Amino acid sequence: MAEVGDVRKAFRHVGKPVPRVDAPAKVTGRTIYGDDLKLPRMLHVKLVHAPVAHARIKGIDASKALAVPGVEAVITAQDLPPHRYDPDNRTRVLLARDEVLFYGQPVAAVLARDPYTSAYARDLVEVQYEELPPVLDPLEALRPDAPLARGSVQALEEGEVGGHITVEGAEARKEEGPRNVASTITFKRGDVEQGFKEAAAVVEGTWRTPMAHQSYIEPHVIVADYDSTGRLSIWSSTQAPFHVRNEVAKTLGLPETRVRVISTEVGGGFGGKIYLYEALVGALAMTLQRPVKLTMSRKEDMLAATPAPNCIVQLKMGMKADGTLSALKARVIFDTGAFPGAPLLPGCLLIGGFYKCPNLEIEGLEVFTNKVSVGALRAPGAHNVAFALESALDMLARRLELDPMEVRLKNAVEKGDPLPSGQPYPAIGLKECLEAVAKSQLWQRRHEIRAHPNRGVGLAVGGWLGGLQPASATVTLNADGTVNALVGAADITGTNTAFAQIVAEVLNLPLEMVRVTTGDTDSAPYAGMSAGSKVTFTVGRAVKLAAEDAKEQILRIASQRLEAPPEELELVDGVVRVRGREDKQLTFRELGRWSTAFGGRYPPIVGRGAVAPRLQAPSFSAQAVEVEVDPNTGQVQVLSWVVAQDVGFAINPMAVEGQMQGGSTQGLGLALFEEMAYDEQGRLLNPNLLDYRLPTTADVPPIETIIVEVPSEDGPYGARIVGEPSIVPGPAAVANAVADAIGARVFQAPLTPEKILHALGKIKD
Amino acid sequence: MPKQLIRLVVNGEGHEVAVEPWWSLLHVVREVIGLTGSKEGCGTGDCGACSMIVNGRLVTSCIFLALEADGAQVTTIEGIGGDKGLHPIQQAFVEEGAVQCGYCIPGMIVAAYDLLRQNPRPTLEEIRYALAGNLCRCTGYTKIYQAVLRAAEMMGG
Repeated sequence: MAEVGDVRKAFRHVGKPVPRVDAPAKVTGRTIYGDDLKLPRMLHVKLVHAPVAHARIKGIDASKALAVPGVEAVITAQDLPPHRYDPDNRTRVLLARDEVLFYGQPVAAVLARDPYTSAYARDLVEVQYEELPPVLDPLEALRPDAPLARGSVQALEEGEVGGHITVEGAEARKEEGPRNVASTITFKRGDVEQGFKEAAAVVEGTWRTPMAHQSYIEPHVIVADYDSTGRLSIWSSTQAPFHVRNEVAKTLGLPETRVRVISTEVGGGFGGKIYLYEALVGALAMTLQRPVKLTMSRKEDMLAATPAPNCIVQLKMGMKADGTLSALKARVIFDTGAFPGAPLLPGCLLIGGFYKCPNLEIEGLEVFTNKVSVGALRAPGAHNVAFALESALDMLARRLELDPMEVRLKNAVEKGDPLPSGQPYPAIGLKECLEAVAKSQLWQRRHEIRAHPNRGVGLAVGGWLGGLQPASATVTLNADGTVNALVGAADITGTNTAFAQIVAEVLNLPLEMVRVTTGDTDSAPYAGMSAGSKVTFTVGRAVKLAAEDAKEQILRIASQRLEAPPEELELVDGVVRVRGREDKQLTFRELGRWSTAFGGRYPPIVGRGAVAPRLQAPSFSAQAVEVEVDPNTGQVQVLSWVVAQDVGFAINPMAVEGQMQGGSTQGLGLALFEEMAYDEQGRLLNPNLLDYRLPTTADVPPIETIIVEVPSEDGPYGARIVGEPSIVPGPAAVANAVADAIGARVFQAPLTPEKILHALGKIKD
Repeated sequence: MPKQLIRLVVNGEGHEVAVEPWWSLLHVVREVIGLTGSKEGCGTGDCGACSMIVNGRLVTSCIFLALEADGAQVTTIEGIGGDKGLHPIQQAFVEEGAVQCGYCIPGMIVAAYDLLRQNPRPTLEEIRYALAGNLCRCTGYTKIYQAVLRAAEMMGG
């Protein structure tokens, strides 16, 4: 990576570690989050969550709740203003109408003057249910004689409602076929049976990963206000302000000019805060003609937000004696809960997307059950399939007595290799990540570590393709010569700091002279959602173009004033000067004044950048983990963890390391602790942060980061996507480390003490 | 039951508040006194985002009844640094990149402040033990460990 280091030296701001510009406000508690907002006459809403997983609603009696002093209204589906209803779209079922499809589904809204009163009165709303058989296990759900999880499955099965992704082989579904299928997908390459014949070793297994919750520490918060001009304003802790605006407008039948979304500081999202109850809260504000605030409690958030799906992967893989993969056959089943939306496509692409394999057959099924509908969790679907793929690869290596690192290096995908869809990879750095981990102290020490009883080292990789969405930005010069940049992307990971670095780099300014703001949907230039790891990759390009445009405008004026061609001018710390002529210069402050004041002779400097990126910049991560397993208790302790990730070019290495460490830790949580547990009636057993166990400081050792930089073709300064890949390898890396430590393979995450003891044969079913 | 009057000192400032018996200290501090730096992440005392120091003891204020805070001395995030500039712990969190979404950070800093008050030069293991009641979902903790170690150094512990 020596050449990359040389590139870095050429820059003043980008590529350097910079503390987040918003950090001082956060460490003092001054940052305003959604729950800190108050509007005059604001009402507080609490939702009535169904206590059953599947039922018909026979009647709702709100009289007792309405009798509570301070309660202003109880709203059911019938009381909502006219809106677009779609039984197959979670966000278009604002409140359950006739049928409850999952435990916790909102059936009514109680509005009161304070949140304690609305919560108290909520429990007094009496709903009569006629219970229906709940469909809970996705494999059971697929049986031809299974009950249906929802009334409209039939319509979906007949193809009346298209899935959210390309559905192949839909015509193959017959009366006798599997039931409760939301969508399917298949990928084929070569001849798998021939591939298995060529294999020296074949492994086969079923890997399971449970429903998991994004567990942002800030639960969802939405405030809505419908003013007397007919404009609906929504403050939301969303990652996706423009998406929310567009969806709310469509759902409530308003033009987008009459919906304004202000994204409040996002207290963690990880894919779970895209769009959920904004239309409902907006509709309540319209109905009550008063501002309405919904602050979800932790329990409500766990019951009825959009966690990540339960997944079952049936995988068979064959390897030749020399370590070359010869065949991969997979059946990937995602439990999407009561509404479509599981990450079937990325799951099926990625299970065949990390390694070259001439023969593969991948079948994916998205299955309805009576559980809460699912959403994205950092690289949605990827950790589920990587758990199977990376476990199976280790098993094959062991069987053939090959080194797990060598096997991965031998088969790792490179630029030009096809995904299962046939689409070729652009430049990627999977091999470089593996090589970086191979050189790490942890990997070098692995034989020494293994000498300790019950200690082991595991390796796994994971990647993410990344999203693409158009993006734009403006860069303007202020009267005092400072510079503002305006974007429409919610800043979650420190992207506005990276944008400030980019603007300061282009204009060669001190960082302090640049301010980056995320505007609301009325004022900001469009940006796609802050999801898919793409904010710096896409919006960053727009910011760079906008800064370059502003620079050109500055140079044009300066060229006239200084009577020198633009190519002879240079920008230094807010001064434009003729190269080598200290006497011929003008300042940004002068330019700012001339382009803003009374009688100003120049138009304001407004740089504009807009992009529609079409080429992805996938990112891979390789991770090695050292664990110690207590064979008597089944307890796993992580002793060390190293993560390498190809980020193309780290615009802010400090922020990039933070992403790598945060993602790895979420992978650790999925590996060892995290599971939403349901009983046989479909009731969530652990809707709190005591029983839904997140990694704590006691569980997480300092995580070593290795930034790998294989430049992307299109990203700003070669940057590629960053946020998501680091979560992907965790469960497999830990399972491989445990297998290395105790010789027992666990096929089900999380690797709880019970499952470890089970794998050791110390407890039976 | 009528509201009851409690008196408490928050960050050196006295307050008299009429509270409902079921109100938490967090509710009083955020909604009545108007200091919104402390956050509610779980409401069950499991995440630590609402951490405060009450009479010298670190508590999760979301499950600390307001009535029990009658006569108490309370320190919140607003009482650490703030107007007088950043406290070294806050400075270290900024400089080490230990802050991402920031929602857990007020509670985390209060917990770190409590630790360094009692143990001015903690080891990594002592930090990991002391902060285990404060969940952070973004950072993976590594930079938080570095920040607390650095703060201890800056404070000359």
